[in-house]
Amino acid sequence: MKKYYYIVLLIIMTILIIGSISPEYGNPRNMDYINYYLEHGVQDTGAINLVASIYLDYRAYDTLIETVVLFMAVIGVTFILSKGK
Amino acid sequence: MTPINISLLLFMIGLYGVISKNNLIKKIIGLAIINASVVLFFIAIGYREGGLAPIMSRSEAVDSANQIFVNPIPQALMLTAIVVSISLTAVALALVVKIYSKYKTLDVQKLYEE
Amino acid sequence: MKNSRIIRTLAQKLLPFIFLFGFYLTFHGHLSPGGGFQGGVVIATAIILLTLSYGIKETENRFKEKHLSVLEKLAILAFIFLGLLGIFFGYPFLKNFLPLGQRGYVASAGLMIPLNFVISIKVAAGMTGIFYALVKYRGEI
Repeated sequence: MKKYYYIVLLIIMTILIIGSISPEYGNPRNMDYINYYLEHGVQDTGAINLVASIYLDYRAYDTLIETVVLFMAVIGVTFILSKGK
Repeated sequence: MTPINISLLLFMIGLYGVISKNNLIKKIIGLAIINASVVLFFIAIGYREGGLAPIMSRSEAVDSANQIFVNPIPQALMLTAIVVSISLTAVALALVVKIYSKYKTLDVQKLYEE
Repeated sequence: MKNSRIIRTLAQKLLPFIFLFGFYLTFHGHLSPGGGFQGGVVIATAIILLTLSYGIKETENRFKEKHLSVLEKLAILAFIFLGLLGIFFGYPFLKNFLPLGQRGYVASAGLMIPLNFVISIKVAAGMTGIFYALVKYRGEI
């Protein structure tokens, strides 16, 4: 019965891998957003690292919620492994 | 065999590990492999032919005008995905430590009988 | 591993360099790959090295759990305060309102440097808190 699961998994894997060969791998189709960040990134923020300018200046709000996600992980681990008195 | 295919192969390897291993720690390792494969998939999507890393040069160099750069947007998204992967592994391992201290076994078949 | 003299001496001599490397990754986050998250994890690695070589009791005498948890909460509040600082000057929340400076120098990119620093402190304190909680568990249910 367990070998049945593995054969289904193998068939799904070959279908997905063969179906994901696309001619669009190196040439994306829609380049408008990328061109804006590449042209105006340095002069809007003053940072050379464009990835840092995206997650610290254009989308700094997401980084704030990111730190809250890490804080919730610390709360979860501390609560699970605490000595309940 | 582009990195998109390799990331799907890694996803299937991680899924096989989650489904068919009987040890709890090996299931958590499978979850971490699935997270890593998703990160690789997103970064492989933003590839451009002959592109460099999206870090500009220090001076006002002329060749920054017609140099091809890789897409920087999925790389900024994947920082969040990596932090989610860390917090998932941390809470899962805390739960495994508590399960072991109560039932003294890590085998899933034996835990089903409890 | 706790009573090995080589590992204790080596960890003690290497500790300031690991902190320095973590702060280098943090403060050059806008010039080269790096930033707050990467630097914070490297700083947490320094405290994990100290725990592995000296034991949990000695390490906790120097990096207390209570101080680390207060530091972590202060770091999140400092992030929100840095965002509200823009509102006092008339800009939107979390806008880059400090002077931008010259490209390629460390003193550039406005609000990114304090944000990187605050994020690295938060991540370091958080990772160390998770590590302490996992090591100090003694089997109580």
